[in-house]
Amino acid sequence: MTAASTIKPGDALPPFVIESVSPDAMRDWSVFLADPNPIHLDVEVVKAKGLGDKRINQGPINVAYMMNMLMAAFPGCRIESMDSRFLDNVYEGDRAVASGEVTAVEGNRVSCDLKLDVDGRGTVNAGTATVLI
Amino acid sequence: MEEFPPAPDVAGTSLDGTAIFTISADENAALCKSTGVEPASDGTAHPIYYYIATQVAMGKTVAGVCETCEFDVEDGPMMGSSGVRFSQQLMVGQDYKVTGQILSLVRKKSRKLGVMDVLTYRLCLHPAEGGDAVLETDNVWVLPRKELAA
Repeated sequence: MTAASTIKPGDALPPFVIESVSPDAMRDWSVFLADPNPIHLDVEVVKAKGLGDKRINQGPINVAYMMNMLMAAFPGCRIESMDSRFLDNVYEGDRAVASGEVTAVEGNRVSCDLKLDVDGRGTVNAGTATVLI
Repeated sequence: MEEFPPAPDVAGTSLDGTAIFTISADENAALCKSTGVEPASDGTAHPIYYYIATQVAMGKTVAGVCETCEFDVEDGPMMGSSGVRFSQQLMVGQDYKVTGQILSLVRKKSRKLGVMDVLTYRLCLHPAEGGDAVLETDNVWVLPRKELAA
């Protein structure tokens, strides 16, 4: 993706791939977020709560993956706005793919649809964003 | 929702913070690395700090917000959505403070979750020295009301 003049609605944004969601990153984010919720840290707690058998990625990390996809698609861009809906959990070991599509271009303002898919379970996060390029 | 008691009237509850939040270069680098990218070289912080800074420096903890809503955080609040509008980029080394409030708490019934309260709150991030907000974010949380399940 380069100049606004070459970008048009319907253009696909290059995917940003996390090959394996890391429990180490979850531990780091429990510090960043000042939130030691054990469902991100302790498999036994996840099991006890009936939420599965793997640690659960913090929701904002999933948003960060989609932001990374946007910033890679439009180098030097500034995100003006972004909305995302949390549809399902992302678990340790998941392969997550953030992708998007241009929906509108007005001057240097590009609007996009975004999503985060996990192998085998489909879309776990979806949203929209506007970037200034 | 006549068959259930109304959700607590919490709209307008202040979430103004007193803490100062500063994005350190080291933490920004670690955060970027944890998401698979390198930190920017121009002094801007990863934009996901919109969420982290406002959440960490608002005037209540997540547990405290839940308590205001008469909800036990141990019952598992769930993020529903998050939106942000930036007026400026976030900068490493800049001191920020938070203002905000609860916008609404609406009781609903869903097939999947049963009775739940949908909490919406708005937070704004300002330079600590004062001035207009650099961003505004609205977060929506779902609070499942197991005790009201049929």
